[in-house]
Amino acid sequence: MNRRRKTIFLICFTILIIFAVFVGGAIIPETALKADFAVKNTAPSLNHIFGTDWMGRDMFLRTIKGMSTSIMIGMASSIISVIIAVLLGTLAGTLSKYTDNVVCWLIDFVMGIPHIVLLMLISFALGRGFKGVFIGIAITHWTSLARIVRGEVIQIKNEQYIKISRKMGKSSFYIMKNHIIPFVFPQAIVGGILLFPHAILHEASITFLGFGLSPESPAIGIILSESMKYILTGYWWLAFFPGLMLVIIVILFDILGENIKSLIDPYTSQE
Amino acid sequence: MKKLKFILSVFLTMAVFISGCGKNTENVEKTEENKNEIVMAIGTEPEEGFDPCTGWGRYGSPLFQSTLVETDKDMNIINDIAVDYSVSDDRLLWTFDIRDDAYFTDGEKLTAEDVVFTFNTAKSSGSVVDLTVMESVTAVDDDTVQFKLAYPQSAFIYTVAGTGIVPSHLYNESYGENPVGSGPFILKQWDKGQQIILEANENYYGKIPEIKKVTILFMTEDAAFAAAKAGQLDVAVTTAGFAQNEIDGMKIANLQSIDNRGLTLPVVPDKGETTDTGAKIGNNVTSDIAIRRALSYGIDRNMLVENVLNGFGSPAYSECDGMPWGSDEAAVQYDFDKALKILEDSGWIDTDNDGIREKNGLKAEFKLLYNADDSVRQTLSIAVSQEAEKLGIKIVTEGTSWDIIDKEMYSNAVLMGWGAQNPLETYLLYHSDNVAKDYYNPENYTSEITDKYINEAMAEADSDKANELWKKVQWDGETGVSTEGECPWVWLVNVDHLYYVREGLNIGEQKIHPHGHAWPIVSNLREWKWE
Repeated sequence: MNRRRKTIFLICFTILIIFAVFVGGAIIPETALKADFAVKNTAPSLNHIFGTDWMGRDMFLRTIKGMSTSIMIGMASSIISVIIAVLLGTLAGTLSKYTDNVVCWLIDFVMGIPHIVLLMLISFALGRGFKGVFIGIAITHWTSLARIVRGEVIQIKNEQYIKISRKMGKSSFYIMKNHIIPFVFPQAIVGGILLFPHAILHEASITFLGFGLSPESPAIGIILSESMKYILTGYWWLAFFPGLMLVIIVILFDILGENIKSLIDPYTSQE
Repeated sequence: MKKLKFILSVFLTMAVFISGCGKNTENVEKTEENKNEIVMAIGTEPEEGFDPCTGWGRYGSPLFQSTLVETDKDMNIINDIAVDYSVSDDRLLWTFDIRDDAYFTDGEKLTAEDVVFTFNTAKSSGSVVDLTVMESVTAVDDDTVQFKLAYPQSAFIYTVAGTGIVPSHLYNESYGENPVGSGPFILKQWDKGQQIILEANENYYGKIPEIKKVTILFMTEDAAFAAAKAGQLDVAVTTAGFAQNEIDGMKIANLQSIDNRGLTLPVVPDKGETTDTGAKIGNNVTSDIAIRRALSYGIDRNMLVENVLNGFGSPAYSECDGMPWGSDEAAVQYDFDKALKILEDSGWIDTDNDGIREKNGLKAEFKLLYNADDSVRQTLSIAVSQEAEKLGIKIVTEGTSWDIIDKEMYSNAVLMGWGAQNPLETYLLYHSDNVAKDYYNPENYTSEITDKYINEAMAEADSDKANELWKKVQWDGETGVSTEGECPWVWLVNVDHLYYVREGLNIGEQKIHPHGHAWPIVSNLREWKWE
């Protein structure tokens, strides 16, 4: 198996797992997550492979459901971030100096506020819950990507073919659409995938801190913060397995991003 | 790499939080010889300090201050600094003779002037201390105080029992931080957010406490559990979730309480009305008495006690179970079939087979709010909604903050808790004076009959007769606020107060604890001793 094949195999494999968790979580019905006080605080066994919590809820199902929510939030916020970043980055790079200043100021402004604090503010202002977390995460992750896109655009703006295109009387919009965006898009896609773990971890940490979803909903941050309370009493499985799942999913996204990058990137794609 | 750093920083932050909470105990070592000292963790510090004029000591005993009268373990009124008291025939004038051997710890004598000053200050403080009934208070002579009430109120004696006397010559705005009083203990040191250190008052007029030094640490339940496990605490507050774990050398004190939990169910339909602050009033589902009554019959309270509280509690049927003014008639038997029949007879039938009943096109579905920070309330809410589902009533639970509950409690069910050693609570929860006031009556319950009994009970001088009237508020043979009556609340459980207590420490005979899982346990601190 050559390098390229291996890369493609890895990509398919990670996508499969992530997809399985996502779909698996989405089809778990509410009734499966019900409290069953007969089996509370049981250690991992064949019936409950991740054990159960103090209400007798199955931790495996709760974790998968929580990860599914996380992946959905991560996906949506990545897509929104990529759109915002490409749009603003290209505008900044191609239009006037004035636009560039405004966009750069906006990036600095959003980046200047500590990320978690900003998330809390947005989430709180929107009345917490799913909406608050979702919007908060979606509109705060685009900044670094926008900066990269802007850099790329400025770099290729002075390339011969763009200058020629301009000399031939094409409009800024035409150049943007046909020459610049196709060039920066692969970068943006990779950047977007690499945003995924960020978004997931932020979703987890903001719910961990209690500014996110309602505590009865299955979300990875809630599961982890609840388990911290009980870890002293020896119920290690409440924190261990969900924590491990979170790390695994994050690492999978990282592998996915790195491998797609090595496929798309002209310097490595021929290896 | 960045992500790694992020994960690391999250873990580090957690570590700091955890160790930060536990730090207080580092220097506290338990040695066998220190038999007149105790170290305990009993919950949160009172934010407003230790000033009785703003509410300190209302649930329990003020420790640093004396009260005119106090309650014994059976909730009878006994004297503290009063030697005698009398009530005039029209029940408006209350006269207290006070003892002349009570001194503040700065050496000044406690006189009638101090009592007058305390009650006037408390009345004008605008705090939780409710003294609206008190028209005036005067010092007849050095050791006699006379209260004049605006209208007769027998429960006034409990308000007196909950108000510690402050020294008029020392009282200022920062008194709460530096409380000088005449009580059995002296506040030696207060490290805010960490601990307070108490010492016995050797000049106390009563029996001088055997425990000479008490350190009270403020820590969360899990930190207290860890510290107790490490052998650093003699008393540690805990909850049902932890209490199944045994700690060497400590036993679980399972203290009975009227710290109750129940559901408030709006009794008025949604007619588009709003409160002054714009909050919606009314709920079309819970305003149907059949729904409320079916829930009260159809929720297995014993199951809740067993599963949610791990057996550390008792079923609740009113706000004052087991109190002299609580009525046995309020209790109901769990009867699932009866609950179903109530629903069906009133027209709630599942016509579209989705498991939820309907009546005139309205689904039997409502929202139940609870305070998200409280895991017991969360578990209760979830268990209740699962019980209701069996009845064909869908309860959507939502954990949130009190700010949000404030706005939504008039139109949704809320999991609330009360429980006071004072029958006035019945007035606060059910009298039409208190509709939509504070958290007292968000369900908008009003009834002329209830009001009448409450007014009569408050005006009754004889406490036995008053108790009979309070009982009629719950159920008078025809109506009341209990299940068979109007049922604005579905009471669920009384939560026992759980503490780990070191073996050999005698914590005396405890009263039935009121709402507030922390300070009530020290109300008899002066009787504690090592054995």
